[in-house]
Amino acid sequence: MPVSIQNGQAAGSGSQLRSSLATREIFLARPQKQAGLPASLNFSWGRSVQWCALGSLGVAVITWAGFQLGFNFAAASLCYLLLIVLESLTGDFAACCLVSLVALGSLDYFFTSPILSFRVGHPINILALFCFLATALVITRLVSKVRDKAELSYAQHQKTQQLYEVAQHLLAADPREASGAFLEPFRGAFGVRAACLFDAESSELHVAGSSEFDLPERTRDAFIRGQNDDDRRCGVFVRCIRMAGRTTGAVGFEGLEDASLTAGPLTALAAALLERTHAVRNANQAAAAAQTEAYRSVILDALAHEFKTPLSTILAAAGALREAASLGPEHLEMAETVEAEAARLGRLTTRLIRTARLEQEEIRPWMELTHFTSVVADAVNQYSRISGDRRINVLERCHAADVLADPDLLRLAISQLLDNACKYSVAGSSVDLIITKQDGHISLRVLSTGTPILSSERAHIFNRFYRGVDARRMTAGTGLGLYVARKIAIAHGGNLELDSEPSAEESVAFRMTLPIPESELDDIRG
Amino acid sequence: MTSAVSFSILVVDDEPSLRKVIRASLAAGGYTVEEVGTGTDAVGLLQRRSFDLVLLDINMPGLNGLEACRKIRSIAPQTGIVMVTVRDAEEDKVRALEAGADDYVTKPFRFRELVARIGAVLRRTRRHSLGEPSHVEAGDLRVDFRRRKLWKRSEEIHLSPKEFDLLAFLMKNQGAPMTHAKLLGAVWGPEYGGELEYLRSYVRMLRKKIEDDPAQPFYLMTEPWVGYRFNNPADSGSPSSQLLEDE
Repeated sequence: MPVSIQNGQAAGSGSQLRSSLATREIFLARPQKQAGLPASLNFSWGRSVQWCALGSLGVAVITWAGFQLGFNFAAASLCYLLLIVLESLTGDFAACCLVSLVALGSLDYFFTSPILSFRVGHPINILALFCFLATALVITRLVSKVRDKAELSYAQHQKTQQLYEVAQHLLAADPREASGAFLEPFRGAFGVRAACLFDAESSELHVAGSSEFDLPERTRDAFIRGQNDDDRRCGVFVRCIRMAGRTTGAVGFEGLEDASLTAGPLTALAAALLERTHAVRNANQAAAAAQTEAYRSVILDALAHEFKTPLSTILAAAGALREAASLGPEHLEMAETVEAEAARLGRLTTRLIRTARLEQEEIRPWMELTHFTSVVADAVNQYSRISGDRRINVLERCHAADVLADPDLLRLAISQLLDNACKYSVAGSSVDLIITKQDGHISLRVLSTGTPILSSERAHIFNRFYRGVDARRMTAGTGLGLYVARKIAIAHGGNLELDSEPSAEESVAFRMTLPIPESELDDIRG
Repeated sequence: MTSAVSFSILVVDDEPSLRKVIRASLAAGGYTVEEVGTGTDAVGLLQRRSFDLVLLDINMPGLNGLEACRKIRSIAPQTGIVMVTVRDAEEDKVRALEAGADDYVTKPFRFRELVARIGAVLRRTRRHSLGEPSHVEAGDLRVDFRRRKLWKRSEEIHLSPKEFDLLAFLMKNQGAPMTHAKLLGAVWGPEYGGELEYLRSYVRMLRKKIEDDPAQPFYLMTEPWVGYRFNNPADSGSPSSQLLEDE
């Protein structure tokens, strides 16, 4: 996934940099003379005076030794030049310039005729003194420049090394660690006292270290505003993290040194860390989901066995009792009741387990030519006996049509619709099933009288495990019925949708449509 | 209930209460019933004496039902085997039939369904022991296997050779579920087994010719994901798919 960051400059222009390039670009695009370079590169009067004094002392020593030993102009000037070169290797440029002037004075006074006088006797000596000064200054300048470059390079190398170490520690950190623990590598790097990462996906705020300037709040605020927050006075720098064109979080640093140089690369690392956190979280969720599915499958198998075996015993015992010739009419009726109710419980168990299995599995219908109306009639017969005082009416408004369908699955889907209609309709009302044909489809409309489905819930009623506000209050359920029924309809090439108008005051209607196969359409047309 | 004084049944189930109820119920119907709690005990008992039918639970600890079924089939090829499976596990049904079972009942089952299945398997095994019939009548259908002819209400129906072979195979095994692989192997040849589309299209053609309403079949019943079963309405004990849903 492309990752981009907003750094201080890019935020204004709105440009986005790829994370892999961000570090490099930010380092290379900077002018070399920046705040944060080694202290020796910055001009300091105190240091210059010190180096100047030291250099002058060196000049004094050479002068004294040269005077005692009777050095001529050439020998003395070479010794002074050597001192200036040595001085420029360690001291700063200004100090070297001053020492060069002191050396020039000494050379003139002690070693240029007339000696012990600043007066120059011969014009050629003026040229020699000028050459000495020019050489000394050029050498000083060149050596200082080379040294500056070396120090800058060293400083950059140090920063890259530090960044590399932070990256290494971040990669080694486990994103599942306690909140903020995986941000620890940021602390201490470039003077960072506290680091904070806001993850928009989970709305979690991770903090490492203690903040004096409300870093967590400022990080969250920066994300909400979608803008970076730079406060140089407090040393707080917050950057928004963008992935694939959207803001996915924000990272804040407190006490960050050289923010203009370091904030960008650190933000790029934070973006990579955030992406890794998401990947780990998604992988964990997938693993947990797979484990849950495996547990559910085991539980369903156990349920199937543990429920159905005692039910079989009850059914067999009740059936055998009913078959026994010795029972009187009352006892016979009781045995029949036990058998019928156990059978009902068995049917319910089968339907629940089947629904739960279909919810997790891909539906593979065993298609065969099926008489649609007969399947509807079967489901209605089953439900008429258990629907209490609801009247179920089937209104066939077309000639019988056959569909290519799995009868068991189709019966299950229609049963779910009937179950839904009976559960949520008004006691004593009727549930109407209207079968029609239209545009090569057969349609079943299930119409019941009851509390209409709220507009806010219409988009969710086919979601798995979704239960309406009223539904939760009114009756028990799993929130799987409509989800599975629609899944079955779609697996048959049809659909299931809510068909009642939002304005309908006291009715709820669902429409299931299934395609009529070409061969049957030919028969109908023929 | 079918009179079955001479038939002996072995009930194999790890659930003592279910064993007890089935034993008592079948004994009341005139069957001689023995019961054991494990597949190993069942195999051991069958090595010592013979039974007409074994009612075998598929889910048992130790030697499971499928393994026990294979062993029983090798020890006693003539013994009918009805397996008890759990609904919604079609693979178990296919595996049971492939392991040599003659039929299956799915939990939770009603007693009369169980008796019907047992009766159908016993009749079939008895028929097989008497040799293959030359003709069979089922409802409005009459088929002459030697002359390869089929009549429906005295009117001859023309069938293609493959249609006849398929119908004849199902009618000879009437009441028994036949897996797709078994049907394809028997009718098309041993090299066939996975070509379900052949079977579907032939069954569809057959239904159009022999059923009053092909979308509500009466003779050629589908066993979803398992295969097909020929239902003979004249066979009073023969279970039909309606019986499974009949509550």
